[in-house]
Amino acid sequence: MKGAMKMKYKLSFFFAVLMIGTVLYGQGRGPAAFNIDLTGMWTPPLHEDALERGNGPELADYGGFALNEAGRLWALSYNPSRLTLRNHQCDAYVLPYQMRAVGNFRIWEERDPNNQRLIAIHMWAQTTEGRRTVWMDGRPHPPAWAPHTYKGFSTGRFVGNQLVITTTHLKQGWLRRNGSPESDQATVVEFLVRHGDHLADTTVVTDPVFLTEPEIRSNDYVRQEGDHGAWLYACDDGEEVLGRPPDAVPNYLFGKQPFAREYSKMYNLPFVASLSGAESMYPGFGAKVRNSTDADGEAKLKPTPNAPSETSKAVDPETRDGEIHVLRVRDNVYVLVGDGGNIVVQTGDEGAFVVDSGEGKLSDKVIAAVRQLTPRPIQFIANTSVHAEHVGGNAKLAAAGSDLSLPGSFFDLQSPTAATGLFNDPATHATMIAHNNVSARLGDAKAPAAMVPGDTFLEERRRKFHNGEVIEMFYEPNAVTDGDSIVHFRKSDVIAAGDVFTTTQYPFIDLKNGGSVQGEIKALNHILSLIGYEHQGEGGTYVVPGHGYLSDEHEVTEYRDMVVIVRDRIQDMINGGATLQQVKAARPTADYDTRYGANGGPWTTEMFIEAVYTSLKQGK
Amino acid sequence: MGETSMRMRFILLTILLLQTAVLRVYAQGRGAPPGPPPTPKTAARIDITGYWVSLVTEDWRYRQFTPPKGDYESVPISPAGKRIADAWDPAKDEAAGEQCKAYGAAGLMRMPTRLHITWQDDNTLKVEADTGTQTRLFRFGNPQGAGGDWQGISAALWDYPRPEVFTGFGGIDFGFVPPPPPGGSLKVVTTKMKPGYLRKNGVPYSARTTLTEYFDRFDVPGGDSILLVTSEVVDPEYLSQPMWTTTHFKKENDGSGWKPTSCVAR
Repeated sequence: MKGAMKMKYKLSFFFAVLMIGTVLYGQGRGPAAFNIDLTGMWTPPLHEDALERGNGPELADYGGFALNEAGRLWALSYNPSRLTLRNHQCDAYVLPYQMRAVGNFRIWEERDPNNQRLIAIHMWAQTTEGRRTVWMDGRPHPPAWAPHTYKGFSTGRFVGNQLVITTTHLKQGWLRRNGSPESDQATVVEFLVRHGDHLADTTVVTDPVFLTEPEIRSNDYVRQEGDHGAWLYACDDGEEVLGRPPDAVPNYLFGKQPFAREYSKMYNLPFVASLSGAESMYPGFGAKVRNSTDADGEAKLKPTPNAPSETSKAVDPETRDGEIHVLRVRDNVYVLVGDGGNIVVQTGDEGAFVVDSGEGKLSDKVIAAVRQLTPRPIQFIANTSVHAEHVGGNAKLAAAGSDLSLPGSFFDLQSPTAATGLFNDPATHATMIAHNNVSARLGDAKAPAAMVPGDTFLEERRRKFHNGEVIEMFYEPNAVTDGDSIVHFRKSDVIAAGDVFTTTQYPFIDLKNGGSVQGEIKALNHILSLIGYEHQGEGGTYVVPGHGYLSDEHEVTEYRDMVVIVRDRIQDMINGGATLQQVKAARPTADYDTRYGANGGPWTTEMFIEAVYTSLKQGK
Repeated sequence: MGETSMRMRFILLTILLLQTAVLRVYAQGRGAPPGPPPTPKTAARIDITGYWVSLVTEDWRYRQFTPPKGDYESVPISPAGKRIADAWDPAKDEAAGEQCKAYGAAGLMRMPTRLHITWQDDNTLKVEADTGTQTRLFRFGNPQGAGGDWQGISAALWDYPRPEVFTGFGGIDFGFVPPPPPGGSLKVVTTKMKPGYLRKNGVPYSARTTLTEYFDRFDVPGGDSILLVTSEVVDPEYLSQPMWTTTHFKKENDGSGWKPTSCVAR
């Protein structure tokens, strides 16, 4: 009997082994089941573009890049001294350049310990401490309103002997270290193949903002036997240029790039060659430009005058699907997307603190969404601006809420339903807070009393301790309007920026409501002064724009740079006596129009140029 | 040994034999009738035929224009190689009828060019380049020949991923190798080349050079098809270490861009 039992065990064991084998065999036949081992230490041999990737590229060397006019002008405007700005010092490399850059990296796998399935492939690069995750578990890419990072959001799959990776949600960065730009709208498809101890990564960058066709490059790496032991450390910004005005962003005005000719002269190339965009990638290009003139090159240094203004090629992160979408920002702070402007909601033991109320078209759904986040009522509504998409839902949201601090208090007795009726925000409503100019301008516009904030402030800031953290509401004078505020949730480290910062359009500098370009720059710099990053210039403080995707320091910095650079160009033309028509014809926003431009709708490129021009003429 | 034990052993053996038989049939293509072995053409797991155009997005200055003498940046050139490169004289090459020195196998794929890849026969891939009007022949098997011309002798093989899921189960060899998953690469090893240039400005490779290339095809979802040529140039005379480059081409719909040209030395 004992022998029979033993045999049964043996039989069970062999059967199990064979079944496992059969299952594995079956899996092995699947078309995508072969898992190439990419793990280990890799280093680029740098047998291509070693000088550019190592020491650094020449300025105005954009040869082989399919840059469009906006991309070329953006690059020509780029002054490397921009990297001395505190907010740029720790900029990391965006994905395609990280894979191209000098420096070692290592790759390792993350597997589910229960079933050994591959969850992710991780990469760590020596330069800029680039950390990257390629998700292999089939998860979807995040929505358009989710944050962007330097390495983006990557998903991968094995196809035969290739690892195919798709990356979205990238930050703005470089294709090359001389300012050749890659926008935050770029997407990347990569193909990795391994031949023995050699790994090749082909990157296909599609960028509707700065490229006329996909930029394809192939990088190669050689496997190292062990850890080189030369990893770098996290970047920490410092004081590089003392005494520089806070609104200075190093840039070259159109047509005044002092080093534009240096590259062609140094290597005896036709001046126009490296400025020619996509055609410079193809056979026959050398012969084509052999007889070009200096004038051909000169023409590439400025926007084509009077050319039609380009419009934004960016993905619209606002859903417009009639639904409210909720994204958790951090801790108990959320952003609600869908009703015009972004709505920020903070929850906790007390009632919800809401920043802005949207256009008001989907208020019922906004209220329902807040109820999903907290059983408590909306207690406070803070308005960052008088503009309709920030106050439109005030009345409904306030009516659905209740300021829990009021029932049974002195103020309760003063509500409109009570005898005196002194206060607009009774206990049965949420309390609405804003800078006094918001209320005043709503009053001027004869807005219904139910949407006018009654709890106002006049100067600098308003503070509250609510739901376990300090909330600061800062007044930003004469930025988009004369009533703008930003709201900083200090413990959660989230800033609701209102329309002072958006990722969707040029700043809506509303002159008739007290806005100004200098106030806008000052407000953006104030936001930057409140921000801390987590690692290599990203993460840390999150900034919810009035419109657009959840951002951090980098997006605010690029936006600030844009406003300053456009201001500098228009101011330079004003100093030269240019009229508004002449300024418009010179297209001072040509390198930003494919990202922020509009030829229709409530805020066009022309309106922005006119607002900046007029503001500067008024000394504001 | 009891009757029960004997019966168990019998069951075990039967299961093992059945399993083995099933797997062998599985491995043989589920019982497909035997036939002649496939030719390299029919065995091709990737299709690299057609017209391809090089995208010069790397080493741009060195490839679109002839760099100045002595500019061998990025090349792991040896002292002997430097001496040759520093003495580059295109007029001399022209006088010697050697304008095609930069169009040899080790340099050709880095030139801005279009490729036309076709099957010359079941065993040979023909790669024509319009720049310099050059032809490379990739022969499968073990091609013989004296070589000595610009393109040398190229031996090709299909290089597939080789999953070894079943060949070693804790050291037990079951004797079955499942068929490879789709895809793969073309591996080409070229030797016996006439000495030429890696770059047009006289950066040399010698007759002792071995050029190993991997051809991979990538299909961008909804986009272009890309041909990647990964090259390793091993030259004991003029390079101090193997030189790796990756060169990429984009698929073209037809030959409308095909423009054969003569070799140019400068």
